[in-house]
Amino acid sequence: MARKSMPLSIAPVPLDAGYVIVDQNSTSNSSSSSSPERFTNDAGPDCFLSNPDDSHSSIAELTDFRNMTVSPIEKMASLRKPHPHQQQQQPLSPVNRLPPELLIAIFSKITSLVVLKTCMLVSRQWADCSVELLWHRPHFGEFTKYEAMVAAIQDENAFYKYSQLIKRLNLTPISAKANDGSMKPLGLCTKLERLTLTNCVNLTDSPLVEILAGNPRIQALDMSQLYNISDLSINVVAQNCPRLQGLNVAGCKRITDASMVPLSENCKFLRRLKLNDCNLLTNSTVISLAENCPQLLEVDLHKCHNITDESVLHMFNQLRQLRELRLAYCDLLTDDAFLKLPNRTYELLRILDLTGCRLLTDQSVGKIVGIAPRLRNLILAKCENITDRAVTHSITKLGKNLHYLHLGHCQHLTDRAVQALVRYCNRIRYIDLACCTLLTDQAVCYLAGLPKLRRIGLVKCHQITDYAIQTLVRRTNDLPCPLERVHLSYCTNLTVNGIHDLIKSCERLTHLSLTGVDVFYSRKDFTQFCRPPPEEFNEHQREVFCVFSGSGVDKLRRYLSAQQAANSATANTAGGNPLAFYNDEDDDTQEMEEDGEAGTDGVED
Amino acid sequence: MSEIKLLSSDQATITVEKSVAERSILIKNMLEDVGEVTEAIPIPNVNENVLKKVIEWCEHHKGDPPAQADDDSDSRKKSSDIDEWDQKFMQVDQEMLFEIILAANYLDIKPLLDVGCKTVANMIKGKSPEEIRKTFNIQNDFTPDEEEQIRRENEWAEDR
Repeated sequence: MARKSMPLSIAPVPLDAGYVIVDQNSTSNSSSSSSPERFTNDAGPDCFLSNPDDSHSSIAELTDFRNMTVSPIEKMASLRKPHPHQQQQQPLSPVNRLPPELLIAIFSKITSLVVLKTCMLVSRQWADCSVELLWHRPHFGEFTKYEAMVAAIQDENAFYKYSQLIKRLNLTPISAKANDGSMKPLGLCTKLERLTLTNCVNLTDSPLVEILAGNPRIQALDMSQLYNISDLSINVVAQNCPRLQGLNVAGCKRITDASMVPLSENCKFLRRLKLNDCNLLTNSTVISLAENCPQLLEVDLHKCHNITDESVLHMFNQLRQLRELRLAYCDLLTDDAFLKLPNRTYELLRILDLTGCRLLTDQSVGKIVGIAPRLRNLILAKCENITDRAVTHSITKLGKNLHYLHLGHCQHLTDRAVQALVRYCNRIRYIDLACCTLLTDQAVCYLAGLPKLRRIGLVKCHQITDYAIQTLVRRTNDLPCPLERVHLSYCTNLTVNGIHDLIKSCERLTHLSLTGVDVFYSRKDFTQFCRPPPEEFNEHQREVFCVFSGSGVDKLRRYLSAQQAANSATANTAGGNPLAFYNDEDDDTQEMEEDGEAGTDGVED
Repeated sequence: MSEIKLLSSDQATITVEKSVAERSILIKNMLEDVGEVTEAIPIPNVNENVLKKVIEWCEHHKGDPPAQADDDSDSRKKSSDIDEWDQKFMQVDQEMLFEIILAANYLDIKPLLDVGCKTVANMIKGKSPEEIRKTFNIQNDFTPDEEEQIRRENEWAEDR
């Protein structure tokens, strides 16, 4: 009988097995081949293509025991130091009947490294089957633990050759202490697939060049904020890491076209690229990327100030897969960047960030919406030429696809734009209209019609009054108010009553910023529930800072309700609903910056 | 609704609904290859007791949506998360537990294999190496020096 799939064959084991001789080194899988690994170092792009998505981790490869060509025992034995007594009498208890592949399948259900460490101490077989899982992605919260791990990989008499087991390494938790000397031993690792060095600001080229040269399998490399590194490191990546799919060099300001052009020529499988603040880069890099890396999905050129229209035209002409394009503060861009594009559509483009591209006009927005009809996030903050027409004639065409819209500092916008937007794009979850100073209560009343609105930014929309807030939170239906994050800093007409209404009606609220609203920041009894101002704030900024988040919102809610109850004998005191609190960790920095920025503006005012 | 017969390693014939038996990818592929079968399909690696137990599981889960191809990464994350019926189903002696795992692997029933592996993983959690050895009747074949060495070399490992 022919079979299509052949699961791992298992030799029948007598159920009444008692004590048998177990040869630790014999393989239970007779189909083992001589190939020690599924991928070899010299594997070409074809091999790579068979696994094009970097979401495939090698642990899946490891636990996909059906496809294993070599039994892990055999594999581990090759990495283990020789064992003096090879054969032993062991009782064949039920667990011992499992072939190593199944023992690994069990261990792969264990996520705790501490538990895996315990498994390693049980027996040789258990150690052989758990060591690879334990070392696959080491994690250390403290530098001393990193040092201990490094000692193990450096020890020539170690029980296993641990350096060959590490596939993923993230040094971000110890970034402050990582330096060239402490990184150097990582040059022993040659099987790295992902290396994350975010914020290891002390690192320079010297250890990196060695590590990167020895790791041709690297698929994801994050060197963001390593501002000391230069073209030297990037050139090594270009020469040695042909499988690279994700590269983050945000803040590596010394990088130039001299390394990025070769990288784009050799790393043809790049999918995600962040070049934020690499402001020495020019069109040469972007054009070369567009020509050589057809799989690019996400490109971030934040503050690459030298980029011009030509780069944008090349990217749109050649990168048909683009999902996310960020061009914030590429301030040389003009309408030509978009108007000169042919009229074909980019169905996959979901996110476009044009913050601070000050020269763009309504014409660009019209063209963008025309070619990218499925945009989900559109960021036009500080595109100061934008008028109501861009919204009423263009953005509204995105309809239900639009979830996230940032129009902060588009100061020409009026209530009419908001009215049109709410009518056609009723799936909006996030809207920012900070500093759109022409907006009145009427605009906020329109926004109340967005059923899914979770985050609203109205910083410095100073015409707004309590009336707007009350309309916003009183829904026509009985559904709970969906708002989670509300930014009302410098809306100076607001009073305690309006805010109390907001906070009472929005049970899901986890963030409320009222910086510069004097009826709040000047009240010590309210600000006791605020989070502390950012350290870099000056005295005045600290004085007006007023942001409630997480449990602070809850405390303020209870306090206001209690006060109301005290003031009015007839008031119902049951205002403080027991709330399930949301984790406030998702605080995106952009919002923080906004509040901070508003604070700075406040100084100037 | 059509039925098929399975022949266990100890020569017992078990009749089972075809759609239930097809939770086993091994059996499903066999049936696709041979079409109609009247005689019992031999399952040489699984005895009657275990086969019945596996079929019980397949019967309970016959309505489950087919597993996603990339389910693996998700199921790995939450090892303690086993549905209540499955937890009860797995309350068997170790002999049977490991037989189910072997059978699920042989018969290629991935969700059952997952449940089995998770069950064992949960038995491991929270125990010392010595307690684990006791639980599963495993002999410590490390020398004291080796044990100490492994302990030292892996001392860095801590949880996220």
